[in-house]
Amino acid sequence: MPAVPKTGNPRGPNGRVIAPSWLTPRARRVVTVLAALYALFVWSEGAGWKIADHVLPLPVRFFVQEAELFPHAARDVIEWRAEAWRCDLERFEELDVRPFFPIRRDDKESRFYRAMFFHYRQRKVLEAMDAYLVREQNRAHPDQPIGGVMLLSLRVPIPPAGTAAPRYKRLPLVEYPPEVQRKYWYVTAKAEREQRCAERKAP
Amino acid sequence: MRQAIVDDSWTGKLRAWLTAPQPIERLALARIVLPLVLLAFQSSRLVHADEWLSAVGFRVPDLGGDWRQPLYIPAIPVGLAWAVAVLMTVSGLALSAGLFTRLAAGIFSALLAYVALADRLEAFTVSKLGPMLALALCLTPAGARYSVDAWLRRRRHPGELLPTHVSGGVIRFFQVFLAAMYSGAGIAKLRGDWLGGDVLWSHLHDNYQTTFSWLLGRAVPAWGWQALQYLSLVFEVLAPIWFALPWTRPVAVVAGLSMHALIGLMFGPVIWFALLMSTLLIACYAPERWLLRLFALATRPPPPGGAAA
Repeated sequence: MPAVPKTGNPRGPNGRVIAPSWLTPRARRVVTVLAALYALFVWSEGAGWKIADHVLPLPVRFFVQEAELFPHAARDVIEWRAEAWRCDLERFEELDVRPFFPIRRDDKESRFYRAMFFHYRQRKVLEAMDAYLVREQNRAHPDQPIGGVMLLSLRVPIPPAGTAAPRYKRLPLVEYPPEVQRKYWYVTAKAEREQRCAERKAP
Repeated sequence: MRQAIVDDSWTGKLRAWLTAPQPIERLALARIVLPLVLLAFQSSRLVHADEWLSAVGFRVPDLGGDWRQPLYIPAIPVGLAWAVAVLMTVSGLALSAGLFTRLAAGIFSALLAYVALADRLEAFTVSKLGPMLALALCLTPAGARYSVDAWLRRRRHPGELLPTHVSGGVIRFFQVFLAAMYSGAGIAKLRGDWLGGDVLWSHLHDNYQTTFSWLLGRAVPAWGWQALQYLSLVFEVLAPIWFALPWTRPVAVVAGLSMHALIGLMFGPVIWFALLMSTLLIACYAPERWLLRLFALATRPPPPGGAAA
């Protein structure tokens, strides 16, 4: 019979003192099954079985989709950028969006990068991005109002493996060479740009 | 003399393996370090809580069940966003210190889950792992030793024995999960481009690039990157075997730590994921004597006479 002191932890075989669980035996059995299922779902996501897709609702499934890490080679380095319609100059110029997305503003964990990465084909999100960028730019720089944006990606070629590649550096849009492909995913409609600019000019 | 009844069936063996007590240091290490790593990962978001969780920052509109948005959660008021940030920090630190451990772990887990769902844009692998790990700590006697709770309890009950072990199932969960995670990740890479493509090389050139990865990129020949990919595949796909066999386990721990060190050094912000996995690796599979030695060193009372002595 293990020695049980008055106040708690029982001494087990070999002098071990086992920390008691606060769960009831039945709760421990339930937790054990759930824990095993969690590990199975995580493994199956990576292994391509995707069992969770069939049995778990999306918000729960989200938490088991974590084993598929960098499975594919990148074909190019993708840079997400914005150009803004300057009301005063009546032309598009590059807009540095980093001040408007201060969380990890300089790498691809920036919320601008992430929003473009996930939603570059979803007009509803791109329109929300347009409205946000116009609002923030006009608030931060009322002397340089903008009426709309163009949202684009750059495809920067990756050099062959083993070559002495240059250090990564963020360049202004105008400095990228012609071989860097540009793809425009969203442009604010002309009428919308004009209306916003007119509103800014109105007394 | 009484003899233990041994169940030789496979279920009996499984039960015996699951319940065999494990040193409490494994659980204590996870409880102390994991919340700190999770908080460090979230720190760049926490300092911009208003931008992150309220309408001050950009919000993705409701996409009505689109897979890219697991759950639409509207923006919260600015004050509440800051309250979430403060509560997450306090609960994470309390969990690490083992103060009100169960409550702290529950709150920490719930808040980590909330922020992962509230802003998909700032949710990464660490964001998904965090709530589950904190929940696991909540359901275990993680504060039974090496904690403020244990210190307070010992003051109330000076004669009480200090726990040396926890029920095996607690540690088995972390061990099985880690092996499953590696194996799943390895198979995903196998199904992807890791056998023939320049995966590692191709990810060295964007804004995740560090000075270390840039220098490594200039020094390692093309075949070297392919060799690293093969090594990763062998380690990850077969991880359940490497960790199951006692004679390969220490080598697997060192190989895993090396892999995570390389990842952390090469890919900027991925360092938090590398530290999280390294912590789990050590807590789950490091030889018991390493852990006991580590805790003995950390909890050794200062020599009489202070630092000068």
